[in-house]
Amino acid sequence: MTLPKGFGSGGAGGASSSDVERMIGKRVENMTGMITISYIAAWLATFGGTAAGYFYYPWAYPTPSGHFAFIVLTIIEAIGYLFCVKVMQEGSNKNSNGIVAGVIAATAIGTLFIVIFVGH
Amino acid sequence: MTTNMAQMPALIPKEVEIQRLKKIWLIIIAMGSTAASVEVDNFVDGSLHQTSIRDSAFTPAHWWLYSHFITLPLGWAAAAMYDRKVPVLRGPNNSMNTGLKMTILGYLATMFTIGVNEMWHFWFVEEIFAVPNHWMFNMGVVVAFMGALAYVVRVYARLVELGAETPGENPYVAEMYKMALEGKLYSRAIP
Repeated sequence: MTLPKGFGSGGAGGASSSDVERMIGKRVENMTGMITISYIAAWLATFGGTAAGYFYYPWAYPTPSGHFAFIVLTIIEAIGYLFCVKVMQEGSNKNSNGIVAGVIAATAIGTLFIVIFVGH
Repeated sequence: MTTNMAQMPALIPKEVEIQRLKKIWLIIIAMGSTAASVEVDNFVDGSLHQTSIRDSAFTPAHWWLYSHFITLPLGWAAAAMYDRKVPVLRGPNNSMNTGLKMTILGYLATMFTIGVNEMWHFWFVEEIFAVPNHWMFNMGVVVAFMGALAYVVRVYARLVELGAETPGENPYVAEMYKMALEGKLYSRAIP
């Protein structure tokens, strides 16, 4: 197999397992932390966006419609987060179900808290 | 002869390819969430324009709408750059994948249309969905989604081929994967 410059043994032989590891870099099943931080950042940005609506444009975005958009978007983002982690870990022996369940539960509770107490 | 052909190996180890395809998959899932959220914004924007005709380009419904015209092209650009590391996804003559080309072309049209739209609304404040300045938004997004679908199916079909995903059981879907693997998803004449 032809390998890129710097890999393999100079033309003779194929890729060794260390070559394969170097070509892969950070493995996708170990990216749960980055994916989780991205999800939380997206969720907070969604709160910021909807809050800008009902605090600065209350005549166009009544608080309940902002909260409705926030709930729907949180669900969309949670599905995306779940897909990301589950697809990245399928076929491997890694399992981050606990982290995913905890983070989704936390954002669900946070969403309820915001909907009940913010903007009224 | 000078050439810009990527210095890529003809084949890469299976495990490397699966990992790279899944990294492309991550970008695509994130963009899928963005696209789904913009479907919500279509209603937010529509209900805004029922009450106020057009106050400015900088209302939340427009931030949301316009930011996806930036986010998705940037995301597809990231996918296009990373895509170079997966030889099997290259397009004709080692060029960019045809689906990616269509997607980028479609979003270029929508980015151009943002300017057209602002010029139009300088004189005409009515937000009628069917006015001509909106046409290219819709056509651009349709072209982009066609290309994106072709690319996503191609990536998925390759993951099926590598044994990292379960193939579709629906015979029509399975036929689509088969055509994608044979390079015939776009056209039977142009492989």
